[in-house]
Amino acid sequence: MSHFTAEQVKKINHFRSLTLEQCERITTVLEDHEARPGDQLLAEGDFGDTMILVFQGQIEVTKNISVRTPTGLAKSRRAIIRLETTDPPPSAPPLTAPKTFVVKVPAFGIGEFALVLEKAIRTANVNAMTPLSYGILKLADFATLVEGDGTIGGPVYYEVAKAAVTSLAQASADISNLTQAFFFSLSR
Amino acid sequence: MPADTQPAELDSAKVHGFDVDLFSNFRETFLPVAKVVAVVQVDSGDGERRDPRKWRNWLRWRFYRHHTLAVWRSFASAYSTNDFVKYGVWAGLLIVASSLIQFSIQYDLFAGDVASDLGVEQASWTDTLLHTVWYSVVTITTVGYGDVSPTSNLGKVVGIIFLILNFGVITVLSGTVASVLVAARLTGGATVDEDKYKAHTIICGWNQFVQPLLKIVDADTSVSPVVIVINETSEDIVGRAIHTFKRLDVMHVKDNYTREEVLKKAFMERAATVIFVPDTSGLLPTESPDEQKTILAVLTAKGLAPAVNVVAHTTDPENVSHLQRAAANEIVVTDAYTANLLANHIVNPGMPQFVNHVFDPTSQNGRIKALELPQEMIGESHRKVFAYYKLSHNQLLLGYAVRVSGFDLGAAMGESGSGFIRDMINEQLEQSGVSLSTDEKVVIQINPDDSYVVDAKHRALVLD
Repeated sequence: MSHFTAEQVKKINHFRSLTLEQCERITTVLEDHEARPGDQLLAEGDFGDTMILVFQGQIEVTKNISVRTPTGLAKSRRAIIRLETTDPPPSAPPLTAPKTFVVKVPAFGIGEFALVLEKAIRTANVNAMTPLSYGILKLADFATLVEGDGTIGGPVYYEVAKAAVTSLAQASADISNLTQAFFFSLSR
Repeated sequence: MPADTQPAELDSAKVHGFDVDLFSNFRETFLPVAKVVAVVQVDSGDGERRDPRKWRNWLRWRFYRHHTLAVWRSFASAYSTNDFVKYGVWAGLLIVASSLIQFSIQYDLFAGDVASDLGVEQASWTDTLLHTVWYSVVTITTVGYGDVSPTSNLGKVVGIIFLILNFGVITVLSGTVASVLVAARLTGGATVDEDKYKAHTIICGWNQFVQPLLKIVDADTSVSPVVIVINETSEDIVGRAIHTFKRLDVMHVKDNYTREEVLKKAFMERAATVIFVPDTSGLLPTESPDEQKTILAVLTAKGLAPAVNVVAHTTDPENVSHLQRAAANEIVVTDAYTANLLANHIVNPGMPQFVNHVFDPTSQNGRIKALELPQEMIGESHRKVFAYYKLSHNQLLLGYAVRVSGFDLGAAMGESGSGFIRDMINEQLEQSGVSLSTDEKVVIQINPDDSYVVDAKHRALVLD
């Protein structure tokens, strides 16, 4: 049994349509965790079957990219976004100053595709930037809850599907931009 | 002095015992100080008068100090900006130092010689100094009259040392002056009038096409007459080729146009057009120009001023792709049409002659011109514009040269996709020296439909 409350779970976008009672049931299968600033929560390219529910702290999402440097191509880790809880806010300032947008929400979930896929590939790295208080929701536990109460699955899967569709549209635009840039640079 | 006292206009009536002429002179040259002086003087007014002579001397001192400082500043400025002044000063100092050192060492040695030279029993120190300085100058300048010379063994030994030292000094000074002259010559010598160089033409490289090209530009009054030619061909050859033009003001910069500073010196960023031609400077008639130089120069030019209109001339079609990558706005390939012209002598007789006529600069008529459209024709149909040129000017409208906007990658991407991907694309292209947009291009519309509408981006191509 997690020490996180149903109210805290309901603040996360994916679970906002659930009732408090349903959120209560989710807390029963949540594993409580703490992370220190700099700890890596997810690694790009790994497979996982867990979703992370962050209740307090700030995380940074980064991607590994090969970039051109004066000495040739080199692997670089590029920050995409930072997410920060507001209710409660982080207990300490971040490890490093942000070089990208910081999106502030009451609480948030990451790795949500793991709720629908057994071996969901992690598409980015996630590191804690402040002391982090989070829970882990396993696919198997969530699936059991959904089997017991079908009404839990619908709203959550709907949010996951929305996130998936948004990611897909963005990936499509990224491919388009990269293709344009590729042909543009070839023509120069 | 009371705090509320304001610097007032100087009132000579209140300034006790003042030299009026000196005051007027001083007022003109040093008014701000004069105002302060007046305040001090007026406020002292408890009857305690100052010695007028002291005042006069003080003002004179300020007056001369002001002028002395002005002269010193001029000298310091000339010393720091003019190498000849700098080395002249050093030469003078070395001569004085050398003379004084010789005088102090050789006073006794010269004294006897000077006395016998002057026919007196004992030479004064001024005579000896003058003789020593004379000896130094005559020696250091390598003139060597020999009227004053050391006679004793010690004098000769000291003389040898100074001759060797002076030889080194004069060699260094000569070398420095020579190198200043050479540097001035290499960098094109005199500075140019900056205001003159706007919307001018720059031609980089030298070959047999440059003079005929300039001849055509000379005949067309619609373009700026100011032309800079940059190449390493001798001034005599270039001078002979350019001295006949009536309208053109051609300046020859004898330098390497692949160097950034040389292009900068030609005010390239303000030029209307920069043309790069295969450079035959310094080559034998049997040698071919190195066209890699053209590619490198275009790269340098577009890196320096991306907006400038660069036209590159190459004789090798294989260079076209390289010049495109170097972002040349227009590329002219010599001989690209030769095969076509030869073939048309067989299959289409008359057409090559027509082309020759059209491109012959001496042709009185039948030349193709690109003209700005008159304002009243903007927005009209091709049919109407065609009739306008035929009826108003008896010119045959062949088509249009249309300026079309270049491609802008940043605008094309807009806000689509992930911000970090767009940032990465921008950053990586910029780091690679690839501009995110292409320049405006000119496309040709030949004989469009009658209903084709022209806008301000069109220029009319007419057969005169």
